[in-house]
Amino acid sequence: MTEPHQPTGYGHEEGSFLDNTGLGFWGTIWDWASTVDHKKIGVMYLVAVLTMFFVGGVAGLAVRLELFEPMRISETTNEVTGVLFNVGKLVVDPETGEMVRDRTLTAGGAGNTYNRLFTIHGAVMVFMFIIPSVPAALGNFLLPLMLGAKDVAFPKLNLLSWYIYVSGSLFGVVALIMGGTDTGWTFYTPYSIQTDADYYRVVLMVGAAFILGFSSILTGLNFIVTVHKLRAPGMGWFDMPLFVWAIYATSIIQVLATPVIGITLLLLIFERLFRVGIFDPSMGGDPVLYQHFFWFYSHPVVYVMILPGMGIISELLAVHARKHIFGYRAIAFSSLGIAGVSFLVWGHHMFTAMGELASAVFSALTFLVAIPTAIKVFNWIATLYKGSIALNTPMLYALSFLFLFSIGGLTGLPLGALATDLHLHDSYFVVAHFHYVMMGGTVIAFIGGLHHWWPKMFGRMYNEKMGMLGCALVFIGFNVTFFTQFILGTQGMPRRYASYVDHFHLLHQVSTVGSWILAAGFLVHLGNFLHSLVAGPKAPPNPWGGLTLEWEAESPPIAHNFHHEPLVQHGPYDFESVVPPHCSEEDYPLPKFVS
Amino acid sequence: MIQDAATTISQAPDALAPFKSEQLNLIAGKGGALEQLLFRSSGQNAQAVMTDGLFLLIFWFSVFFFVLLMGLMVYWVFKYRRRTGVPAPASTAHNGPLEIFWTVVPSSALLVIFIAGFRGYMAKVVAPTDAIQLNVSGMKWDWNITYPNGEKSAYSLPMGTKKAVKIFVLPEDTSIQLLMQSSDVIHSFWVPDYRTKMDLYPNQYTTYTFHTEKLNDEETYRDHWIFCAEYCGDQHSEMYGIFRVVRADDYQKILTDWSAGALSCEDLGQLVYRNNCISCHTVDGNPGIGPTWLGSFGATRALEGGGQVVVDENYIRESILYPQAKRADGFQGQVMTPFLGLLSDEEIAGVICYFKSLSSQPAGQGEAAPGQTGGAGEGSTGG
Repeated sequence: MTEPHQPTGYGHEEGSFLDNTGLGFWGTIWDWASTVDHKKIGVMYLVAVLTMFFVGGVAGLAVRLELFEPMRISETTNEVTGVLFNVGKLVVDPETGEMVRDRTLTAGGAGNTYNRLFTIHGAVMVFMFIIPSVPAALGNFLLPLMLGAKDVAFPKLNLLSWYIYVSGSLFGVVALIMGGTDTGWTFYTPYSIQTDADYYRVVLMVGAAFILGFSSILTGLNFIVTVHKLRAPGMGWFDMPLFVWAIYATSIIQVLATPVIGITLLLLIFERLFRVGIFDPSMGGDPVLYQHFFWFYSHPVVYVMILPGMGIISELLAVHARKHIFGYRAIAFSSLGIAGVSFLVWGHHMFTAMGELASAVFSALTFLVAIPTAIKVFNWIATLYKGSIALNTPMLYALSFLFLFSIGGLTGLPLGALATDLHLHDSYFVVAHFHYVMMGGTVIAFIGGLHHWWPKMFGRMYNEKMGMLGCALVFIGFNVTFFTQFILGTQGMPRRYASYVDHFHLLHQVSTVGSWILAAGFLVHLGNFLHSLVAGPKAPPNPWGGLTLEWEAESPPIAHNFHHEPLVQHGPYDFESVVPPHCSEEDYPLPKFVS
Repeated sequence: MIQDAATTISQAPDALAPFKSEQLNLIAGKGGALEQLLFRSSGQNAQAVMTDGLFLLIFWFSVFFFVLLMGLMVYWVFKYRRRTGVPAPASTAHNGPLEIFWTVVPSSALLVIFIAGFRGYMAKVVAPTDAIQLNVSGMKWDWNITYPNGEKSAYSLPMGTKKAVKIFVLPEDTSIQLLMQSSDVIHSFWVPDYRTKMDLYPNQYTTYTFHTEKLNDEETYRDHWIFCAEYCGDQHSEMYGIFRVVRADDYQKILTDWSAGALSCEDLGQLVYRNNCISCHTVDGNPGIGPTWLGSFGATRALEGGGQVVVDENYIRESILYPQAKRADGFQGQVMTPFLGLLSDEEIAGVICYFKSLSSQPAGQGEAAPGQTGGAGEGSTGG
């Protein structure tokens, strides 16, 4: 700090953005709470979304635990068997006089508790974790760095987005503490209008989603302007890293689609509080209208969840295979293509609710969205060809993504085809499918990306062996948990069931055991990251030999990101002709052929 | 799992006792190993077989591409693993013809899957003209089915100490169309063995069509689970029902046995008509204050202010509850009383049955009547 690194720099402090020397405890708190630094905001988002991931994850594990041994109808002896964990009223046994649980099938409380758990799991994971996970946490941290900018276009708006996110999440948490809601994360009418009539929990939960939407819109707007206006000199549109393209496409969807859910949720709140009669059939309203409104947002938002994950995978594969991404333009345009078509496919959530013509049109449009997705997968795998592939944690996650996301994508086909969808709709097949896409896709990419950029964010390396162990546990646990659910679905297991007929028992138990392996994997990662923060070895500025601009910055970056404005002279993936920043030629032999 | 139910209750004097059996005869273990793993049993009817066929087509298509892609991935990861000091060999960063090839080929395959899916779907949702029509009502948390003779199921399966699961009998080898409506929230009717489901709404009718299978010689009946597939609250997961497929003559005997003095659907409708509708609507083909009912079901009716509508279940229901929503042309100045809150769902279903009985044979349904002026019974296609 005493000696300027570059005489032509911005004239700023040269310390790491994490440096809190001389601020004291409360000074540090205030420094973070009032920061407009996109990196600090990114880290605050990271902490917040990981906290919500923990909350949603615990609820998910509880759902699986309940399904391990619930009440079941035995199909051979005509009896009710099984134990529902901690549910069923305590009654006095007339023969022994002891307190026992009333284990009749309609014991009450079973479905009630279970329904609240899966609603928490769904609502928290969708609205509070997966939507903001990659764009708001990693996107905030990386977008300006990758563009060679000092910050996002509107730094104060960025901080406001974070506070809106936290307020929205608090609404949700208050609803949970008050007893939770049992609407499912989709809030389908008229159930969501009628349930828990005396309480305001549903209003709070819907309000939470409504507020969170504003955070999403503002972040999207901020990123769009940043990409348009703050690219470093020399960086044309096709010199942008693919992660930036993905975030850009995501932001467009966020800005265009989120207002629709905002209005819809507001109408739902009005419906509950003032009985306006838009969705309530007892007042002449139409509950299917709600589904149209809801999915008009919530299908595009599926791509808000997956596109940033796809962006991460493009970066991970290119850097750790030291290979130019295959078909850069095809991947960039397919992101935009997916964003466009995503607005036209919402009806495929409602094949069991619409007429023949509408179903046929939406089915055809749904297959259309499969094409750019398939193109991306082909390009990623082609990128590996003639690479120099490092099998480290980020690469293992990228390969896991390709494996799991391919299954997720291919199992979308029988759901898009009308005849098979009528059987599989609202079954465990759908549950497995969207977990393969959302978790096997986005969450896997997010964790992989977190390992990839961890040294950049915190200036510390993580333990590679522990990272690989965690990855292996997550991969195995995930497949055991969710692959079984495909079979449950085709066999006829409906979703959102607290109990089931006996013949589904074994597969449910296997699935639950898988969820424990999965949880163990995440705990290994958590321990590894915490250990890295405290005792990890110091990270070099460019540990992986990446070519995108964030690797030119220090690890962790200085407050203003770069010592002087970067000038872009090569593409983001020109590994064959460029020595990456901070790397020497001995570390990084160039190929004989240089174009 | 096939139980010989008849033997367990054979001492009962009641001839229909076997059909009240609490012993389920669920179909499982038929078909190839893959079919058994995926579906527990091969399909029960042509539509289900078609669905399974499409699923397996997609399955093998997916397996082929998945193995190809993952095989390449694993092979390249191994072959091009990083070696210290060895750079990545040079290679091209894109290849136009290859990229066009892998865009066009999967797209064509998707087109085939889409078309097959649409054909299978139409085979499922379009009812044959000879289908038996039953009225289904979903409510938290039970199913009710009303048979054409107005009767409801009298058989059930005790589950635990409080809950009973209703058993609904159906004749074998027959097309069935369910006209479904919910009394409260959205439900979804799913019989996994028939591989199709449809949602039930509180504000409109939906239909569910399937064909029952033929029984084996040694079977008295065969059972199929009915599940609710749309989340509906606390006991969503206990909203069970059972379809019990029996022989056609047994079906008639059971229905006769059940219909002790009940009004048939059609008779109930006629009663409602006499009490509420007769002053304005005729059943002889001449327009009254409002359109006549004779021959109007399935006919196309011109609307006041332009447009036209096919008189179907949903239109009749809407016109009873909200008469001003779609007014037949030719009755300017007449205002019908809205019957919202005055007639029950069952009574409205009865009126619909009565409408159908006043129309031609179902074969004529949906065809536009020669003259639609006035909407006053010109739409008669016979009857």
